[in-house]
Amino acid sequence: MRNYNLITPEGTKDLLLEECLVRRETEETIRSVFQSHGYDELITPGLEFFDVFQSDAVRYPQEQLYKLTDSKGRLLVLRPESTTPIARVVATRLREAMLPLRLCYMQSAYRFEPALKGRSDAFMQAGVELIGSNSYMADLEMASMAIVVLKECNETNFSLELGDAGIFKELMRELHASPNTKEEIRYLIETKNYSALNDLLDTLGDNHIIHALKKLPSLFGGEEVFDKMAQLYTTPHIQDMLQYLRKLYNEIAALIGRERVSVDLGIVNKADYYTGVIIKGYLEGYGDEVLSGGRYNKLLESFGYDVPAVGFAVNVDAVAKVAMKHNPRTKKPADAVIYAAPGYEQEAIKLAETKRQAGSVVEFALEETAEAALQYAKTRQIPKLYRVEEDVTEVTVL
Amino acid sequence: MTKPLRIALTKGRLEKDTVALLEKLGYDCEAVHNKGRRLILPIPDGNMEVVLSKAADVITYVEHGVCDLGVVGKDTILEMPGKFFELADLGFGRCRFALATKKGTDFYSGYGVKCIATKYPNVARRFFESKGMDVDIVKIEGSVELAPLLELADGIVDIVETGVTLRENGLEVVEEIVPISARLIANVVSLKMRQQEIEALIQKIEEVLQA
Repeated sequence: MRNYNLITPEGTKDLLLEECLVRRETEETIRSVFQSHGYDELITPGLEFFDVFQSDAVRYPQEQLYKLTDSKGRLLVLRPESTTPIARVVATRLREAMLPLRLCYMQSAYRFEPALKGRSDAFMQAGVELIGSNSYMADLEMASMAIVVLKECNETNFSLELGDAGIFKELMRELHASPNTKEEIRYLIETKNYSALNDLLDTLGDNHIIHALKKLPSLFGGEEVFDKMAQLYTTPHIQDMLQYLRKLYNEIAALIGRERVSVDLGIVNKADYYTGVIIKGYLEGYGDEVLSGGRYNKLLESFGYDVPAVGFAVNVDAVAKVAMKHNPRTKKPADAVIYAAPGYEQEAIKLAETKRQAGSVVEFALEETAEAALQYAKTRQIPKLYRVEEDVTEVTVL
Repeated sequence: MTKPLRIALTKGRLEKDTVALLEKLGYDCEAVHNKGRRLILPIPDGNMEVVLSKAADVITYVEHGVCDLGVVGKDTILEMPGKFFELADLGFGRCRFALATKKGTDFYSGYGVKCIATKYPNVARRFFESKGMDVDIVKIEGSVELAPLLELADGIVDIVETGVTLRENGLEVVEEIVPISARLIANVVSLKMRQQEIEALIQKIEEVLQA
């Protein structure tokens, strides 16, 4: 049998030294943004029942789930994301809690990604959920908090994108086609596959809805997008959604400038998970979105508690990767090393404690002689050596 | 000057057709013609950079965002779908996926599980899945036509352009699966971050294609 004891499974990796440092820094940055907005952290188990991810509102593709069984043979999964488990918690243990609830999390998620694509199956996800409000201010709070997260993580090269899941849904309601055709249309719009979309829609005739659907994937960019959509096709409902999104767009643009915010009316998500505003965040130097979220007013209902909610999640590993690229770190050497002559260990420990309390990073020399300890300090680039003998001698190493 | 727009091209025929298209748009592709062994080539007046790679790698580079755009055949896209935008059908590199067998055999007869040889196992599996058929799929790297002749497989799923190779080896098309041509693809973030440049390029391409 082959022995795999020296490697990690496909799609996972060890984070060492600087990588680990930057990941933890990123986590702390994001966590403090969440906390300053009044969000309380919670931790859900890494293992959940498979059924949690198979409700009316969210049907997670089973190909992407890491599955195992419990001692009774029931199917479990490693959580592929945290929003659904949080909806479960809110619908059960927090059901009597006063609304709105502001909850945040920072925990790993696991998904099977296609093999050999250089993607991770396990990644750290940080996110927020604002539960119990359907107000404009709640959506604005989400969008503006997303901006703070991106800004804190990468001052210069971020951008935010807004969309609305409702517009596509409304167009689909008006369109006469089979569910399979509708799913095909959704997929082609999601992948901005203009040519295939045109071919498919041509077979369905020619009217305002078809025309609007053809244009939908190209309806992204600045404020002009709203007018373009309004000219193509509107219902009173779409009119309301456009107006709402435009207000939000202008508010965000006033905060961070028009060049940093865009609109994409062609964002269409597979699951019927999102019901309103959609938020995405990008960082230059990473080829996929690093932040994604939106309004999901039906998810909690599928757990028997009908309240609206909005939230987003950040791919912390992706953000850390970009941070590492922009600002490479090297591990800093300790500030001092302490050598204890035989019999003076007590004094050395007390000295180290004093120095550490004053804020220095202090190591003990494990060498047997003071000369060897000096050599160690030189090699490790540690600027100071304290020799603890009869007296304490401070030696400047570098 | 901003970073050049990086376009990954599939080496070989699609590369030639794409370069011809870029020249029609008025870009100076001198460097691509005299590339020697270089794999990253500048198109100075377009603020673009051409990267030459194998078809499947075009998708990989675009997916990861190390190339902004790519030109790749629909055959490769169907075999390895990923997260990217498919922006335009460039019209060249036209052919089709087809199921072929030895001339005169009835592929669908009998209840035995059929064996299919192909370079495109995902395309083949999806095709038979849509028919509710279980088949054994054997991946072949070279001339797939050999497999039925050597009686390793009952049929093949492959790209067919003129059908000459099939005919000369006593094979015939049983069923066409899907038409294929070259596509322009874009990274999902690049399209948003560099919308104006990319849209301008696509518009120029569409004008030339329609002319």
